[in-house]
Amino acid sequence: MTASAVNGPLLKVERLRKSFGTHEVLSGIDLAVNRGEVTCIVGPSGSGKSTLLRCLNYLERPSSGAVFLNGEPVGLRWKGDRLYEMSFNQLSIQRQRMGMVFQSFNLFPHMTVLENLIEAPVLVKRVPRTQAIREAMDLLERVGMCERASYYPAQLSGGQQQRAAIARSLAMKPDVMLFDEPTSALDPELVGEVLAAMRQLADDGMTMVVVTHEMGFARDVADHLIFMDGGVIVEQGRPAEVLTSPQHERTRAFLYRVLNESQGV
Amino acid sequence: MPDVHSRTRSIHDQKPVAVPKIGRWIGGAALALSAAVFLQILVTNENMQWDVVGEYMLNPAILSGLGMTLLLTFLAMVIGLLIGVVLAIMRLSSSRVFQIASWGWIWFFRGVPPLVQMIFWYNLALLLPEISIGVPFGGPKLLSWPTNDLITPFSAAIMGLAFTESAYAAEMLRAGIQAVNTGQTEAAATLGMTRWQSLRRIVLPQALKIVIPPIGNDTISMLKFTSLVSVLALPDLLYSAQMVYARTYQTVPLLLVATIWYLVLTTVLTVVEHAIERRLANLRHDRPRKAKGLFSFRLFARQQEVLK
Repeated sequence: MTASAVNGPLLKVERLRKSFGTHEVLSGIDLAVNRGEVTCIVGPSGSGKSTLLRCLNYLERPSSGAVFLNGEPVGLRWKGDRLYEMSFNQLSIQRQRMGMVFQSFNLFPHMTVLENLIEAPVLVKRVPRTQAIREAMDLLERVGMCERASYYPAQLSGGQQQRAAIARSLAMKPDVMLFDEPTSALDPELVGEVLAAMRQLADDGMTMVVVTHEMGFARDVADHLIFMDGGVIVEQGRPAEVLTSPQHERTRAFLYRVLNESQGV
Repeated sequence: MPDVHSRTRSIHDQKPVAVPKIGRWIGGAALALSAAVFLQILVTNENMQWDVVGEYMLNPAILSGLGMTLLLTFLAMVIGLLIGVVLAIMRLSSSRVFQIASWGWIWFFRGVPPLVQMIFWYNLALLLPEISIGVPFGGPKLLSWPTNDLITPFSAAIMGLAFTESAYAAEMLRAGIQAVNTGQTEAAATLGMTRWQSLRRIVLPQALKIVIPPIGNDTISMLKFTSLVSVLALPDLLYSAQMVYARTYQTVPLLLVATIWYLVLTTVLTVVEHAIERRLANLRHDRPRKAKGLFSFRLFARQQEVLK
């Protein structure tokens, strides 16, 4: 890790494009995420938010452009002047530094919550089992899931599963946490507990990139708000500015729609 | 309305008389009668020679045949499953070469009857008199064996049975692996697991749970398929019985001995399979299952699936 990398943004996206067949989903994204910052990405469905997030940890291979984590290209490596794509296993070392929380939780159903949490640290990082368990219980405490450590995912509510999934990602001690619509699959009354856990995480100084429809969360927690539509960033800035005085017609139309919906109209 | 006032009891005082199930009574009676006739034949027919059956049940030749049958079943299943896992992974790989190789193997060994295969493997020396390791296409040979030293009735039988099983196991495992949600492998990847770690710890445990019932079913089928090896003069349970009755002409009682032993083994395997499935069901806390009686499971349900 070079000195310049530490000073620069933790996560940087340069001229990122992604197409599925002939359909271009991302048409040139530039973006920087600083250490300790919470970045929220909002926009209508089909705007490319989730694809952008999945390009950050190379779950999707960008068609062109690049993502940098701490100044190092993600999924790619230099050998002299030639650029090579990383193998899955080389990539897995970079992925350890980027936690990800999914809309559908994706807890491992054949393991208890505790086993879900210690699996990767023990298997991938060779953390001694007793230490992994101790750290996992601390994390479960933080998301209020201590009493559920020995439960299987199917025995938990959606909100509990998602909090366990957040703890599971944190167990790898990532530099940045990516959230892909973490509350979209939840019953309305369970959204609050997950957002509270995320808010707490933000307060603890975690760098976060959150794709969300929760405008309240974006307004209160985000340091940086990005509005995407049609595969491009239409507008970005401090959440208060973007939400109260949007500069673009598309942003205004989107905000009018979601804010009215959230008030139950 | 003349009836209303003659009634002395209220509707709340009594239980209604059930609809008579006449069909069940007739059918039941017919079946009971058939069973009685069948039992009578079993018991009274002199040709059954139950005393001879009893005499040979624990005969050393029969018991060693039983051991051979179990050994063949075990080895064919283990080798078949190991090859099947590799084939399933090849089939699901993104490499066209692997996909086609796996498809070709499955196509061939699922299409050729195990009996034909066994005879073919046994006569492999007619095709390849010598098997050697070295540089192909006329290059130097490092090691070389005459085929007839390698191919015994036993190895030919194992190949025929295991290769057939591998093709079926591959298809089952492929379906099992595909049934595991892609979100699972994505979650494993984002936690920094390598391909192998994710396969071993996340995908295969979930896939195996799905395929254990069909594997158990295959094991029971395999036990019965091993009787094919009698054509190679390999002394399994059936061939041991045949050797005895070739000498003594007590054909029926010795076939009964073999039949009883096969039934004992398949019953034991069925109970074991049921126990494993119950254990898995208990591990899967999402789907609490009711414990069922011995006769409400498998033995019948599975057979229907095989027949369809």
